[in-house]
Amino acid sequence: MRHVFEKELNQLNADMISMGALCENAIQTTIVYLRTPEIDRHEDILSSVDQINHKERDIENMCLKLLMQQQPVARDLRTISAALKMVSDLERIGDNADDIAEILTLQNIKAEYLDSIELIDMAKAVDLMLSDAINAFVKRDEELARKVIDEDDVIDDYFNRIKVKLAEEFKDSSKNVDALLDLFMVTKYFERIADHSVNIGRWVVFMITGTLEGNTN
Amino acid sequence: MTKRIFKYTELIILLTLVGGFTAILLLFYNYFGTLQHRQLKTETAITAEAVENGGLDYLNGLKVDNTRVTWIAADGTVLFDNEADPASMNNHAERPEVEEALKDGYGESTRYSKTLTTAMYYSAKRLDNGSVVRVAESRNTVFAIALGMLLPMIWIFILLMILTWFLSSHTAKQIVEPLNNFDLDNPLENQQYPELTPFLHRIYSQQREISVQKESLDRTEKDFVTVTEHMSECLILLSVDGKILIINKQAMKLLHTDDSCIGRNILFLERRVVFQEALKKAAGGEHSELILDFAGRRFQTDISPIPGDEGNESAGMAVLMFDVTDKENAEQMRREFTANVSHELKTPLHTISGCAELLQTGAVKPDAQKKFVDTIYSQAQRMIALVEDILTISHLDEGAGDMKWEDINLMEVSNKVAAQLQQQAIAKHIALTVSGNACQIRGVPQLVDNIIYNLVDNAIKYNKENGSVNIDIRPGDEGTVLSVSDTGIGIPEKDIPRIFERFYRVDKSHSREIGGTGLGLSIVKHAAQTMQAELDVTSQPGRGTTFKVTFPSGDGGKR
Repeated sequence: MRHVFEKELNQLNADMISMGALCENAIQTTIVYLRTPEIDRHEDILSSVDQINHKERDIENMCLKLLMQQQPVARDLRTISAALKMVSDLERIGDNADDIAEILTLQNIKAEYLDSIELIDMAKAVDLMLSDAINAFVKRDEELARKVIDEDDVIDDYFNRIKVKLAEEFKDSSKNVDALLDLFMVTKYFERIADHSVNIGRWVVFMITGTLEGNTN
Repeated sequence: MTKRIFKYTELIILLTLVGGFTAILLLFYNYFGTLQHRQLKTETAITAEAVENGGLDYLNGLKVDNTRVTWIAADGTVLFDNEADPASMNNHAERPEVEEALKDGYGESTRYSKTLTTAMYYSAKRLDNGSVVRVAESRNTVFAIALGMLLPMIWIFILLMILTWFLSSHTAKQIVEPLNNFDLDNPLENQQYPELTPFLHRIYSQQREISVQKESLDRTEKDFVTVTEHMSECLILLSVDGKILIINKQAMKLLHTDDSCIGRNILFLERRVVFQEALKKAAGGEHSELILDFAGRRFQTDISPIPGDEGNESAGMAVLMFDVTDKENAEQMRREFTANVSHELKTPLHTISGCAELLQTGAVKPDAQKKFVDTIYSQAQRMIALVEDILTISHLDEGAGDMKWEDINLMEVSNKVAAQLQQQAIAKHIALTVSGNACQIRGVPQLVDNIIYNLVDNAIKYNKENGSVNIDIRPGDEGTVLSVSDTGIGIPEKDIPRIFERFYRVDKSHSREIGGTGLGLSIVKHAAQTMQAELDVTSQPGRGTTFKVTFPSGDGGKR
């Protein structure tokens, strides 16, 4: 019985990693799209997001099945409940990537607008954060998970700086207002992705230590 | 074993004890019962005789214990009883033994007490006068006797239990000890139990079979490990569902893991979506190749399905990864080289073709014709030089397998090269000198010539008017050092790492004036490498440059 359970837990872990990789891929494609907006990559991102949603349902079903059939306790229970919470964060990350792609399809943003703001740097930092969060899950690395949680402040600083910069550019009437609004939205979505990555980090810490710190909403 | 032996012994003792006790009890009870009966009958007869003769006087004088004597008149009235007052006793005519005696002259009966622990035996005899004398004796029943003996029996049982425990544990030990001490590694040497010999033979043959199989398995595994550990490629074998079955050292190093990953899903180590998709394909029986980036190095990753015994069914997947960064870089360089060569060849051809066209159409005045012919000649010369350089370099690229190693006097070669280039030096008012000692080295004459020629040629070309070039040869710590120093324009520090690249020019705008193919230093580097000579550059922009070539001493150059 335990053997079957262990096998299913391993499968759950593998599925989680697979879903994480899909999210990483979606973000990376989004960043490429952002840098070269003239080549439409919305389809690629959409297909990633589709797969992410699919995986979310699979993992949720699996978790519920495990909870009911195996009635896990202690560490196993923490792993499964954390997985249940983490998949919804991962799914949101996928949705946010899709939101960014949709804004980029409007073609208001041109590559040269990115020169004056740190959006690409911020996006790269967010990408790294998500990778670290997933790595922390894969390796059950509490230290790395905490690093991801701390990284949130850096992203918030990026966000604030970009916001100030965009506000200045609004005053300059020669600038394209639609593009500035779109840029602000994209920035906000990246900031949301960072928040979800932080949540994942928190759930990893919970999985390892059994204590949930901070507010994960 | 001990417990079992003990349990059965206990059971046997219990059964023997209970069975034996019951049988003996019943036998003896019957025997003594019969005996008592007979005695009672005799006593009754004697008492009857005595009463007949002595009457009530005899009875009154009777002194007996345990025996009850009653005299009953013919009508049943009790005349005498030695244990009770006859007056208080009721009529005895109804008693079975009395009734029987009155009728037949003698009667008997047995009656049990209420508790069933005692029985009364009655025996009655009719006298001549019709009265009856009855004698009664009490006796314990079987049940009472059994009950009375229960306690001693329990004691006996407990004693036997203790005794059995000692005995059976001893016996069990004696049986089990040789079994425990069996040397199963050498089963045939145990002879304590002949009954076990067939088993031991079986164990022996199976052991031999196992050890033979294990040995062959070990050998196979060792061969496999030796091969996989020493291959430079990363190899991972996976089950169909992606679990790591085998991973070699190179792969562990690449994926930053250790033995502990065996049995886990490969996704724990590498989760890129392209990789996952390739795995999915391989699980479905399709081969795929992709390039993955690992810390800046590019790895070609081949993922192939391993077909199972049953044919189509996939038994697992093999992942093979190898570094193709250098290969890709070399390819890139070759592409660039080809592009450069075509460009370099095209430039003089255009000039030649242009000049020839003008001459052909007769648009050039006769006195200007010589200038055009000169241009055609010099550009053709440049092309020849270029093609020669390209041939040299491709020859070097192919390796030095067919090159002839000889003892070379560096001084001789340097003097020869200086003589060849003297004309050029004089044209630029440059003093070309050779200094140092005559040194012998072992090398390929043509390559040494190439090195010195190209270095000196460059030193003259990139020199200032009235400058100087010196070739110096002297023995050093690590071999013979040839240095070519000039007082030329020098090389900026940032360009030094790139000057040996093919077609690389520090000052691209002046290359046409200076001439040259852009392959000179590249040839020097290649030739030096082929002879395992060290190449070293020091330069001060505006002051001059020194190239140092250290030829390994003795036979070090030739392997």
